[in-house]
Amino acid sequence: MKQYRPTYFIGQAFAGLWRNGVMSFASIAVLMSCLVVLGSFSLLVANINVNLEDLGLMNEIVVFVKKEASESEIKSIEREIKGIPYVGEVTRITADEALEQMKEQAGEDGYLYDMMQDDNPLLDSFILEYVDGAHYSDIMYNLGQIDGIDTIRDQRSLANTMQSLKNGIMLIFSWFLVVLFIVSVFVIINTIKLSVYSRKSEISIMRYVGATGAFIALPFVIEGALIGLTSSMLAFLVEYFLYGYIQKSMENVIEIVRIIPMSEVSVVVFFGFAAVGILTGIVGSTISLSKYTRN
Amino acid sequence: MIDFTNVVKTYPNGTVALNGVNLHIDDGEFVFVVGASGAGKTTMMKLLLREEKATSGTITVDDTDLSKLSYFKVPYYRRKLGVVFQDFRLFPKKTAYENVAFAMQAVGTPSKKIKRRVPALLNTVSLGEKANSFPHEMSGGEQQRVALARALANNPKIIIADEPTGNIDPKMSLEIMNLLLKINKLGKTVLVVTHEKDLVDYFQQRVIMIDGGQVSDDRVGGMLE
Ligand SMILES: Nc1ncnc2c1ncn2[C@@H]1O[C@H](COP(=O)(O)OP(=O)(O)OP(=O)(O)O)[C@@H](O)[C@H]1O
Ligand SMILES: [Mg+2]
Repeated sequence: MKQYRPTYFIGQAFAGLWRNGVMSFASIAVLMSCLVVLGSFSLLVANINVNLEDLGLMNEIVVFVKKEASESEIKSIEREIKGIPYVGEVTRITADEALEQMKEQAGEDGYLYDMMQDDNPLLDSFILEYVDGAHYSDIMYNLGQIDGIDTIRDQRSLANTMQSLKNGIMLIFSWFLVVLFIVSVFVIINTIKLSVYSRKSEISIMRYVGATGAFIALPFVIEGALIGLTSSMLAFLVEYFLYGYIQKSMENVIEIVRIIPMSEVSVVVFFGFAAVGILTGIVGSTISLSKYTRN
Repeated sequence: MIDFTNVVKTYPNGTVALNGVNLHIDDGEFVFVVGASGAGKTTMMKLLLREEKATSGTITVDDTDLSKLSYFKVPYYRRKLGVVFQDFRLFPKKTAYENVAFAMQAVGTPSKKIKRRVPALLNTVSLGEKANSFPHEMSGGEQQRVALARALANNPKIIIADEPTGNIDPKMSLEIMNLLLKINKLGKTVLVVTHEKDLVDYFQQRVIMIDGGQVSDDRVGGMLE
């Protein structure tokens, strides 16, 4: 029956971290930065996604009727709109109602709209809801066939802008991340190499007494994993406060944008960081070991 | 049983260290390996330890053909061998006891067995009272005896000693050789590489002479002039 003491491997790993303090510190700093960038980027994308979803939920099209249209013409336009397949609820907002809404939104400054009361420049409009985004272009086509419509407005263009913004961010950050992770792995490889090097004679003795490659490698793999773990915990703290700060300052600036609270994502961020960090550490140490543990 | 058949070893830089070595060593033999510096003695030991691979020819230890030994099996093969070097190669920060114990920990020996076996091993090499001394607190002869105890720790069949007395004064050297002979009497095959003509003559054992990467003489008795 074989019996190995886990305390031996863990003790050796900590000893290694300590012995090459400067390199260990450098590895942790680099990997931590890398994780913070990864986390910030992921959170940004997650936020864009949430806001895109919010926009998507607003399956609304606003149709403005021409100024010169008479009340009967407006009625017939309403009938035609209601006749378009897949169009759900249709709400009419008269020019007067629209002005009233604007006044309300302006609050204290509402009186400014008073002078528009006599000659209201706003248009009558219909807000029509549709259930399934798949029919969007059919609906738009049918609306185009109706006479007496001034303009058609929807949230699509905003959604598209955000989508392409997201794609752009994804592309830039993906490259950035690839480079950062290569740097991280590289630094870890060198840290572990140094650690292995300082124990070269011990390793050769272990090999002579018949220790397996796994026995020799395990302390170094744990050392790499410890670097990863430490980095991820520090990165989590940095991310936690950084995100909280950004969230607070954004809240007061742009109200329409919804920002996911950290509390909702902290568990995912925590375990995500830990997983990526530890994995990077293990990969780095495994690569640097291959030369020394071979016979 | 150790068999070398037409073993050639060429190092990557082109040096031909062994050039067709043939020899056979039976279980339980005691063998001196002698020869001029650079003759290829250490290379032979490295091949036996599977630290290096033969360029051509075959080396068989018991039923194992070393050229066919897979990477994963090498550690298990090495447990059949105990090694001692000229420079002792002890862990400087471990006591005599810990140095011997580590060899057993490294192959996953249960700690109960380690606690039982290490004192016995240290007694075998007459170092019972030095169990808690560190290498720097011991003489060369004592350090080499710790190394011998460590070589014996995992109960190998074969002991390989490459110039074990090279760094030890003559009186202590005799003691180490006596110890190796005692170990041989315990039933282990012992290979001793040495330059010490006096000791070889004194012990009257089998002597294999290596010259230019080949076996130039193989007989029982003293060293050739
Ligand atoms: N790793 C190596 N790479 C290249 N050449 C080597 C290597 N090791 C040994 N040699 C060469 O191989 C030849 C045999 O060396 P080896 O160490 O086996 O000799 P030796 O008989 O043990 O000598 P000594 O008595 O001085 O220890 C020498 O010419 C040596 O320079
Ligand atoms: Mg030599």
